[in-house]
Amino acid sequence: MEAILTSGLQQGLLYCFMVLGVYITFRVLDFPDLSVDGSLPLGAAVTAAMIAGGQSPWLATLAGVGAGLCAGFVTGILHLLLGLGSSGSATASYGAKLLAGILTMTGLYTVNLRVMGKSNTPLLGVDGVFEKIEDLLGWVMTGWNLIVVLAVLAVAMKYVIDWFLRTEFGLCLRATGDNEQMIRAMGTNTAVTRIVGLGIANALVALTGSLVAQQQGFADVGMGIGTIVAGLAGVIMGEVLFGERNVSWVLFSVIGGSIVYRLLIAVSLRLGIAPTDLKLLTAVLVVVALSVPTVRRKVVRI
Amino acid sequence: MSQPTDLKLQAVRKLFYPGTANEVVALDGVDLEVPVGQFVSIIGSNGSGKSTLLNTVAGMYPVSSGKVLLGGVDVTRQREYQRSRAIGRVFQDPTAGTAPSMTIEENLAISFMRERRSGLRLGVTNRRRASMRAHLEPLKMGLEHRLKAQVNKLSGGQRQAMSLLMATESEPSILLLDEHTAALDPKVAATIMDLTAKMVSERGLTTLMVTHNMELALRYGDRLIMMHAGRIVLDLDQAQKQELQVSDLIEKFHEVAGEAFAVDRLLLD
Repeated sequence: MEAILTSGLQQGLLYCFMVLGVYITFRVLDFPDLSVDGSLPLGAAVTAAMIAGGQSPWLATLAGVGAGLCAGFVTGILHLLLGLGSSGSATASYGAKLLAGILTMTGLYTVNLRVMGKSNTPLLGVDGVFEKIEDLLGWVMTGWNLIVVLAVLAVAMKYVIDWFLRTEFGLCLRATGDNEQMIRAMGTNTAVTRIVGLGIANALVALTGSLVAQQQGFADVGMGIGTIVAGLAGVIMGEVLFGERNVSWVLFSVIGGSIVYRLLIAVSLRLGIAPTDLKLLTAVLVVVALSVPTVRRKVVRI
Repeated sequence: MSQPTDLKLQAVRKLFYPGTANEVVALDGVDLEVPVGQFVSIIGSNGSGKSTLLNTVAGMYPVSSGKVLLGGVDVTRQREYQRSRAIGRVFQDPTAGTAPSMTIEENLAISFMRERRSGLRLGVTNRRRASMRAHLEPLKMGLEHRLKAQVNKLSGGQRQAMSLLMATESEPSILLLDEHTAALDPKVAATIMDLTAKMVSERGLTTLMVTHNMELALRYGDRLIMMHAGRIVLDLDQAQKQELQVSDLIEKFHEVAGEAFAVDRLLLD
């Protein structure tokens, strides 16, 4: 029982940066960004390749995050170029957003293979950031110790994002997803806010990739498959379970959603569901979570 | 703070879908000079080009030919967001002028920072809150006590009042009003219109107001323009305007429109 709890919490906190990234694209920017399926393994691949090559794990993690930032920029720039000819209708604009993400994601598959030179880079016997933290704190980075360190990092990240979304630039970024016509009329170049927002979101996703690779001891080119759906599951479950009073609150909800989602996965695995069946389970979970507000409304009406 | 400036359109033509079977001439050689501080009402039927005229001034799309000058500066090639620092706009749809899921104070903060580039300073500060309350108080809608409320919780009239406040914040050079009271119920529309007139006269804003409502066009503003088929067909100054009734205006309108029909029929024959 405790094993399920600790593994669920660890995974939930490791993946909460990715879920925060998906929240920024999907909810704040109104941009369903599929490039996250590529930027998660990108963060892992860059970090793993650098650590395996003898670089400092701190530097390797930073580089992984930087690579994710650039991947997000690419998606934003592609969207700008693809969107130029669009008529400006809502469907056309979603089409350009989806396509921009898909193109980046597809391209990143090759990039990730090139970065690692193979499909899987093991990190056994070399130090990652968790071993470094172990040396610093004198704690063994397993079980609850790992959870405490990750929780501190997650809460700190929450406050940084919270602050950023309240800055002048952050307000413009949120307005870009909320009412683009209005914020453009206010003199904001929405291409810039969107590109920066996508960069930050994908940097967060790559941070999860980098940390997961160092925690599980390998980076794999296939580890990003289904990231967008898992991210959505975290966002939507968080909103449904913990509410969305205001941005500051939702950021906590989303971290909570990430943890609940990973706990469910841990329980499912314990119940004997094959790991290969998890993607379908996740998709079903997203459908269920998405239909909760609709069902709730119907029930209230009756 | 920028000073209100004059606006000049020179032989502006705007074609939609040029070179195709669907080609539409929305603006057919419009010349217009609006001096500093003038309040111009623009009327015309659907498709007469009055909204296209506003969108052209705002830079929503490039013109096909001709020039747009703001305060003597050629802005024809400037993109919308580049010009928008000098232009305030309020749209017909009350939801268009504000970010719905953001709070009142966050929306107003955005309008406070349009004069300069947005940075990593906090958007909503206590100093700005004080000035927001001072701006909201005269609206007499109680919004000054609800700074943290999401804008999508407000009524259409409250949102349009916010839009107007945000559009005129930081003293834009030109104010563009696109049927901004048409979607409101009559009482609220009258409140918003009075508010508009007050703001325009207090700040001496150069203003273009498109409206379907001939009474509004006669009552407000110090110049009246009628558009038809992409051209300015009637241009009255304050003195001429004051002598007119709505019925005269409708007659004038039929004169212009009827003539166009007659020409069409001639062509067909």
